[in-house]
Amino acid sequence: MHEYRSDFPLLNADNAIPPVYFDNACMSLKPRRVLDAMNTYYTEYPACAGRSSHRLSEKATQKVTEARKHVARFLNSSREEEVVFVRNTTEAINLLAYSLNLAPGDRILTSDKEHNSNLVPWQIACERRGAVHSIVRSREDGTFDLEAFRTLVPGAKIVSMVHTSNLDGVSIPAKDIIKIAHEHGALVILDAAQSAPHQKIDVQDLDVDFVALSGHKMLGPTGTGVLYGKYELLQGLQPFLTGGDTVEYTTYEKHVMLPTPEKFEAGLQDYAGIIGLGEATRYVQKVGFATIQARELELNAFITNELKVIPAIRIIGPQDPALRSGIFNFYMPGVNMHQIALMLDETAQVMIRSGQHCVHSWFKDRGIENSARISVYFYNTVEEAKRCVDALKKISLLF
Amino acid sequence: MLCIIALVVFAILGIFSATHRELAWEALDCVTRRVTLRPCTSGFKEKVKSKVLAVLLNRSVFAARVFNRHFELVSWVFIILIILSTVYVVKGAYNFYFYASCNGLNQSGFCAFDPSGEHNKVTELSSTCGIVPKEESNLTLEGVEVSLFPSIPGTSDDTVVFIGCYDCEFTRKAYPSIQKLVKKHSSRYVFAHFPAKEHTKFLSEIGHCVYKEYGDRFWAFNDRLFTGDRAYVHDRNALDALLTEFGFDIGTISTCTEKPETKREVEQQLVELKKTNLYGTPTVFVNGTAFVGPKPYRVYSWEFTKWW
Repeated sequence: MHEYRSDFPLLNADNAIPPVYFDNACMSLKPRRVLDAMNTYYTEYPACAGRSSHRLSEKATQKVTEARKHVARFLNSSREEEVVFVRNTTEAINLLAYSLNLAPGDRILTSDKEHNSNLVPWQIACERRGAVHSIVRSREDGTFDLEAFRTLVPGAKIVSMVHTSNLDGVSIPAKDIIKIAHEHGALVILDAAQSAPHQKIDVQDLDVDFVALSGHKMLGPTGTGVLYGKYELLQGLQPFLTGGDTVEYTTYEKHVMLPTPEKFEAGLQDYAGIIGLGEATRYVQKVGFATIQARELELNAFITNELKVIPAIRIIGPQDPALRSGIFNFYMPGVNMHQIALMLDETAQVMIRSGQHCVHSWFKDRGIENSARISVYFYNTVEEAKRCVDALKKISLLF
Repeated sequence: MLCIIALVVFAILGIFSATHRELAWEALDCVTRRVTLRPCTSGFKEKVKSKVLAVLLNRSVFAARVFNRHFELVSWVFIILIILSTVYVVKGAYNFYFYASCNGLNQSGFCAFDPSGEHNKVTELSSTCGIVPKEESNLTLEGVEVSLFPSIPGTSDDTVVFIGCYDCEFTRKAYPSIQKLVKKHSSRYVFAHFPAKEHTKFLSEIGHCVYKEYGDRFWAFNDRLFTGDRAYVHDRNALDALLTEFGFDIGTISTCTEKPETKREVEQQLVELKKTNLYGTPTVFVNGTAFVGPKPYRVYSWEFTKWW
């Protein structure tokens, strides 16, 4: 794994005590080749893509097209036109919530662990269009309750669920859910922000209708994301952002939209970001999901085994680390977890997230004030995990 | 409350450190929110607490645990201590400005503004001079016959009684301020020589005789004794030369000093001075208020100008 660590500038900075970055569920680090690709754009061909006909513009167009192909390959999409570049998962889901045809009484199904980005847009869509929002509650241990889903899915128009929860790292049985949903005529949207960096998403195999993901969690730059959608479905959607680059031509009276994906990519895009994102997907594929998952399991198992013996610690989600991807989320009753996170930084330079992780609804439902989340990725090491665990054990003595 | 204290502390530290400057700004934001009854959103309290705990945890788990569990109490104790310290500092600064001593008028004891205690130093009287305890509160002009001493009438209602010793370095230090004070406020001025140092006793007789024989010409001579070479008070020949310089007849002065009557009068003066309970020189009475030690001019002057 050390050969990968050398690709990440932060992990090779000249620090007396190197920082331990355990906040990958929020944002991953960026490898040098992603940064170089973005920098090359700005230094060698900083031009508009798809507009001008000079060589710089052509090169930019070519690089953006390549990036789109990389992403399509990453998702095993049959057509690159099914890949729409957006700013992040949030924008992708908002686009769908705005554009999908919803009538009064239509039902939208989500899980009880949705990130606000896959909850709020649907709540607002329901308020505006009279649709209804239902929740599929998880089992006690945090795993998906397929039986409960089966009970609720009849009559649902849209099933929009987080593929891997940023709360506890649990993945839903996406293939089964999609199959059941389709049997009942429902469209399925997967929030893949947390899954795309850690497991293979084969859109054809899953037969999923839409997938939303973010670049910044999978080694890509911030401000990048992807909305995948089946071509015929995307073609039927109306974009909510229109303007330059979305139209074939206009007159004073009318316009003719371009086909997907261009009709959804209004205005000048973040070309450097898109190119960086394409490079990031290639890097992840180079590392390989088997390697990524093996490392995450090793680290999560170590952390879980070391920390579960501390009486004050309550794990969020299943006890089995194999079910929690690279996430170890915990709380200590009566303790402000922000303080734990701050102290971990102050005492051991370990960076973790604390708070409600944009899943306020889950915390409110259970009366838990906040939690601290350790999220690892393939470039983290057992030594780093040990440093984190040792620091936490010491900190826990205060409570 | 932590934010208020943190604001003060980090604002001071922020003068020297950029890191503390950022914390000062955060503390200010927190204070602003709290005084407008809004919650502090910066997590400032948690940050400060965490920083302190991190340091303590590396040194003593027990101390960190106590600090963590009793953070509010520790904060309040710290706040109270800071408030008390601030009060003492302000009081000390006030006392220093108006009385040249952090601890009050004529009080010795450490003062950060005057570490050497210069403004309260006196030449202490020998044990033969009196058995009254050295307490500033005992100093008084009550029952003291000041008319026995050389004086200059003033045009105001104020009176300055300056008791000093010609050979006392502290008296000599206070002398210019007293002269400035008397001149500026046109106050009545009484000078009494007290021989704090035994060997200067003869100067009491000489001064008394110069005043008796030559009247107001005494004052210029008196001024020279305080401001001129100290040899005048140590060396009789030098003193005689000074007397001659001022046109005083040495024979007349000598005859005067040897008279039993002169000795009785000088002894009476000493008896009167002992009634003041002075314990060192210089001791200055400004309108009856006693000042012991060479104070800055402003301290004496304030006695004339204060409105209470």
